[in-house]
Amino acid sequence: MLAYLTNLAVLISINAILAVTLNFVLGYAGIFSMAHAVFFGVGAYTAAVVAIKLGGGLLLATGAGMAVAALISLALALPALRVRGEYFVAASLGLQMLAITVFSEWKAFTGGIGGITNIPPARLFGFEFATPAQYLVLTLLCLAAVLAIVRLLVRGSFGRSLKAIRDNETAAATYGKNVAVVKTIAVAVSSSLAAVAGSLYAFYMSFVNVESFVLDTSVLLIAMVVIGGVATLTGPIVGTMLILLLPAALSYLPGLPSTEIGSIQQIVYGAAMVLLMIFRPGGVWSLRRGQGQTR
Amino acid sequence: MSSPAQILLETHGLTVSFGGLKAVDNVSLALRAGIVTTLVGPNGAGKTTLFNLITGHLAPHAGDVRWLGRSIRGLPHWRIARDGIGRTFQDLKLFDHMSVLENVLAVTERGAWLWQTGGKAGATERLLRAESALEAVGLVDRRLMRALDLAYAERKFLSVARLLASGARLWLLDEPASGLDPRSYERFLSLLRSQVKRGSTICIIEHNLDIVHGISDRIVFLDQGRVLAEGEPKSILSDPNLAAIYFGERAA
Repeated sequence: MLAYLTNLAVLISINAILAVTLNFVLGYAGIFSMAHAVFFGVGAYTAAVVAIKLGGGLLLATGAGMAVAALISLALALPALRVRGEYFVAASLGLQMLAITVFSEWKAFTGGIGGITNIPPARLFGFEFATPAQYLVLTLLCLAAVLAIVRLLVRGSFGRSLKAIRDNETAAATYGKNVAVVKTIAVAVSSSLAAVAGSLYAFYMSFVNVESFVLDTSVLLIAMVVIGGVATLTGPIVGTMLILLLPAALSYLPGLPSTEIGSIQQIVYGAAMVLLMIFRPGGVWSLRRGQGQTR
Repeated sequence: MSSPAQILLETHGLTVSFGGLKAVDNVSLALRAGIVTTLVGPNGAGKTTLFNLITGHLAPHAGDVRWLGRSIRGLPHWRIARDGIGRTFQDLKLFDHMSVLENVLAVTERGAWLWQTGGKAGATERLLRAESALEAVGLVDRRLMRALDLAYAERKFLSVARLLASGARLWLLDEPASGLDPRSYERFLSLLRSQVKRGSTICIIEHNLDIVHGISDRIVFLDQGRVLAEGEPKSILSDPNLAAIYFGERAA
């Protein structure tokens, strides 16, 4: 039971990193990306390859993943500069589809459909992470670091630039914001921080394959952000917990046949989403904030 | 006036068409330092389009825009803004979900990188500039409210505060007084006058003839994309031909 809960907590903190970094572009910059799982994947594959082929430790593997993700994020920034709204959604969807193909076909780098197995445990300054509890400490520390970075950025001048562009791109440019550069940097920061989650995931699972980085993951991440509360710092973490704990909680409901749990989950998710959008369009976390709050 | 003031902005033969319609047709005018110029003319005369051409929101098909003697044609609008040309919009274009203070603070921060240059001293200077702009328009006690929740007149004043804080030398105001009640309107006029005294150059698009009388040094009358007349308010406003055009009857 404890092992089960520890495992769940590790996965929650990894997903929370993804939700927080997605919210950085979605909530603050208004860039509605359907391709966040791509950068999760890029971080995971890069870390795995660096750890296996180069014998790299946690820092090297994660750093490499972040760098590659930031580079590839330019492929997302490019359409973000040219199109807005639903056109960008379509463009990011295209990137997600393209990435799935590359992840499952580029056997030399990703191991194809089978993925990469036997990833060595993470090493940091001679310490080797072995137990789930140790990984929990590591992932929580990383989540705290990512949250601190995002908090610093969104509360400062960069966050104001992002929000200004989100609220009115024309006015932002009219008052001297270099919209293209701001958006590109925002996407690069979000993507490279998402790669941190990928690296942690690869080391923790010691196995990665394309299944974890598909469109469903991107959609689930959006759900975490929207349910938790866009453009709030803690909202995405609350959303992640709700989405990952719900199936766990449902499986403990007495008298529920285990074969039915899957479909009941779907019904509960769907109903919760609809009710939330009716009563709390700002997300669960907005419950705690007064009306007319800035975001 | 003994010697004419320095020319800040000049347009030469500025032309743009949408489909077959020449929205701005061969417009040449000069905006001089410390002078309030008002653009008048019926709807569709090309007044806002002229602003869009000056600020780089639209690219002219012909002609040139010169700022302090240098051509700024084809520059991206954020560059033109940094050079000191600021504007307001008819639909205000506020940053609706940000606080009043953030709306103003955001325009003082031009750097696109993750942080601004100038360190703590720079940040303090920008905050002071933002707060004094809010003070000037009377929105200090609304500073933490969301821009979306302000009353209409307050929203208009916020758009002016943004301009004030941006430090622009040339203000292009697009119908700034429409929809203001008489008291707000008086406050707005005195704000503009004090700004002119501090050396700003202002160009206003306005339908309200009181404003046109009350503050303009020069009037440029536009119709169908062309400058029909230009001069001092008295002579322009008393011209029966122009009045006929303005009030909807086409002059023969």
